Amino acid sequence: MSAKHGTGYTMGFAAAVCLVCSVFVCLSAVALKDRQEKNKKLDEQKNVLKAAGLLAPNEDADAAKVAELYESVQPKVVDLKTGNVLDDVDAATVNMRAAISDNSKSFEAPANDAKVLRLPNQALVYEVMQDGKPSLLILPVSGKGLWSTLYGFLALDVDTTTVKGVSFYEHGETPGLGGEIENPKWTALWKNRTVYDENFAPAFKVVKGQAGSPEDAPHQVDGLSGATLTGKGVTALVNFWVGENGFGPFLAKFREGGI
Amino acid sequence: MAAKTKEILLDPLFDNNPIAAQVLGICSALAVTTQMSASIVMAIALTVVTGFSGLSVSLIRNYIPANIRIIVQLTIIASLVIVTDQVLKAFVFDISKQLSVFVGLIITNCIVMGRAEAFAMQRKPIESFVDGIGNGFGYSFFLLLTGFFRELIGSGRLFGAQILPLATEGGWYTPNGLMVLAPGAFFVIGLAIWALRTWKPMLKEEE
Amino acid sequence: MLRKLLDKQGKAFEKGGKFEKLYPLYEAMDTFLYTPGDTAKKPSFVRDAVDLKRMMFTVVIAMTPAILLGIYNAGLQANMAIDAGLSQLDNWQMALVQMLGIGFDPANIIACFVHGLVYYLPILIVTFAVGGFWEVLFAAVRKHEVNEGFFVTGMLIPMLVPPTIPLWQVAVATSFGIVIGKEVFGGVGFNILNPALTARAFLFFAYPGEISGNSVWVAVDGFSSATPLALAAEQGMSALTQDPHLWYNAFMGYIPGSLGETSVAACLIGAFILIVTGVASWRIMLSVVIGAFAMSSLLNLVGSDTNPMMAVPFQWHLVVGGFAFGTVFMATDPVTAPVSNTARVIYGFLIGVLVILVRSVNPAYPEGMMLSILLMNVFAPLIDYYVVKAHKKKRMARYVG
Repeated sequence: MSAKHGTGYTMGFAAAVCLVCSVFVCLSAVALKDRQEKNKKLDEQKNVLKAAGLLAPNEDADAAKVAELYESVQPKVVDLKTGNVLDDVDAATVNMRAAISDNSKSFEAPANDAKVLRLPNQALVYEVMQDGKPSLLILPVSGKGLWSTLYGFLALDVDTTTVKGVSFYEHGETPGLGGEIENPKWTALWKNRTVYDENFAPAFKVVKGQAGSPEDAPHQVDGLSGATLTGKGVTALVNFWVGENGFGPFLAKFREGGI
Repeated sequence: MAAKTKEILLDPLFDNNPIAAQVLGICSALAVTTQMSASIVMAIALTVVTGFSGLSVSLIRNYIPANIRIIVQLTIIASLVIVTDQVLKAFVFDISKQLSVFVGLIITNCIVMGRAEAFAMQRKPIESFVDGIGNGFGYSFFLLLTGFFRELIGSGRLFGAQILPLATEGGWYTPNGLMVLAPGAFFVIGLAIWALRTWKPMLKEEE
Repeated sequence: MLRKLLDKQGKAFEKGGKFEKLYPLYEAMDTFLYTPGDTAKKPSFVRDAVDLKRMMFTVVIAMTPAILLGIYNAGLQANMAIDAGLSQLDNWQMALVQMLGIGFDPANIIACFVHGLVYYLPILIVTFAVGGFWEVLFAAVRKHEVNEGFFVTGMLIPMLVPPTIPLWQVAVATSFGIVIGKEVFGGVGFNILNPALTARAFLFFAYPGEISGNSVWVAVDGFSSATPLALAAEQGMSALTQDPHLWYNAFMGYIPGSLGETSVAACLIGAFILIVTGVASWRIMLSVVIGAFAMSSLLNLVGSDTNPMMAVPFQWHLVVGGFAFGTVFMATDPVTAPVSNTARVIYGFLIGVLVILVRSVNPAYPEGMMLSILLMNVFAPLIDYYVVKAHKKKRMARYVG
């Protein structure tokens, strides 16, 4: 360290350091932005594809493959309250999770078992197209488990009730117990169960112990041992999101044809 | 010179290990070590930051006004960390998602600040760089060790590949859930420090 | 005769003898059979005024009713389930019972006891083999003698686990309890945490599938039976009051659970023995009960629509889960509890409060006894410190004033 410096020198030095540092930070942020955005999108698309069953749960596909598979997926913006599809809104501008913390883009959710506090005005639904017609509906779902909020995608058949796949991509449940919700063995059990009863009221349930085959227990899925409360959370969140406060209105309109 | 450089590089690995001898930088070691891949990325990120912060601080050490030296060091370190974080997000997105805030928290890692203030402020740039890398290696050694045991015992895997076949999938191994939780890292690091201090008794604090 | 034999062998184990390293093993045999060669010579010790061996045996004797009843109950629960038509577990324990030809009649006390014993004994043997190994290893390396302290820990661990636990897990947990819970601190007397509870906590977090949930408590295939505590947490008080005999059964210990977690009656006998002999602190036991009473009454008053556990009254908290066993045998552990009497009261009271708090408020861990005792173990020296400091201040004030 050299001798004493005056205030002017100190100020000048600080400014110089800040300038040099900020230039570095800006350069890296700007130069890498495109790559980062691409990664983020890829990540989301992978999760959707996994729920749809187009991508195996542990498969690590490269960008090209994801893009190819994702071609058949069409994101749609839905007004959660009315269930109408908003064709004039670009899906890329909708971020459900960010909207929740913005009061102008979300509203308070009615009291519910899934402990969802706020809902976005506009939600995303992904339709998997086959020969020009939707063959799968993928709904983003979330809700409280035991410790944490679970985030996942639920894939339904065009009858809006038969489950074709499910994947939870983010949670903080106990590894080995509630954390087993991401186990592909367990999510495979969901296939061909139905979330609605014959009157289209939500009837899905994660039971305790074994549920049996889809024929015997159309709405039930095996419980995870030692994770009763996570199971309850999953039950609540599925029923909430297919119910009248979630995607219920949209799904009803979809069934009627129209969409 | 060469021998001295070697000493600066290797000394923090065992004899003066930042984690074992000084018990610094523990928080990130608890958070990111459930998997080997995350541990390695974190270890590299920290080593790079410590190395380059040592280098840059040393380069301008004679010009830094003493009364603002800490904040200057902090600015340099913070910039390096942000750049590192950006690079990780761009090139290893999955792992950077796992590391989440902990890359950013390298700023608060006492090893980086400690080396900048204690070493780089007095030494030549090359020495400081080597010292930073050496301390990064010392930290990495523990991080990888912890990550190795936590992933192997906690989920029967290494680098995500199943090494021990799980009982739930027809194998014989029942994963140890404690290792996946943060306290698991405490136990591994604690036992490792115990072992290292038994091997090198001079690391023990005077009583 | 035996004395002579031991003395003669002793030479080989002493310094310079050929089995020098194995001296601790020899010493352990020796003191186990006779009074220790080194006993406290003056009564002025703060901690160890009593001979460790006598204390240890008193604790084991006090625990005996709980052990016997626990073994019987483990067999009873399994036999009742088999009687109800469930299939037996396909393991060697079952084969052994069949070989003995006693059958699975729940009304037959001997049959129940034997059935329980085939599960209890292997766990006990594994605990002692593994625990003994670590004790001897550390004693040999550190060149001190094997402490009998492990004896109590070894008796406690099998009481804290479900009968169906895989034996290798018992071994791993015992190692963890002994090494992390005790040896890292320097061995018996220096440990902060109760080693048996440390082992239990390890199992709880490491292998939750084997130690929580509903299917582990009864040794019968596919039989799912929630402990009353879990029942209350899920369905509320109505689930408990449905069966009018349940409280009595819980008090006597005829409910599913770990071996020692069940019988309050047997624990009371143990408490009586421990208090009369002065081995355990009655202040701790009493204040745990008072703390639990205060907290559960408070929660009953507050009430909650969504959390049925809040409404569970005190007398239920007392009989379900590990409350009684923990209060009598774990909270009073002289090494990990505070030393001064005032500190003991505070310590016990806080354990009582925490148990009810964990049981009622935490959604995932219905059993709060283990966690609250371990937590208070950590605080015990601190409580002691402040009590002594406060006492000093008072004395100073008296002198000066």
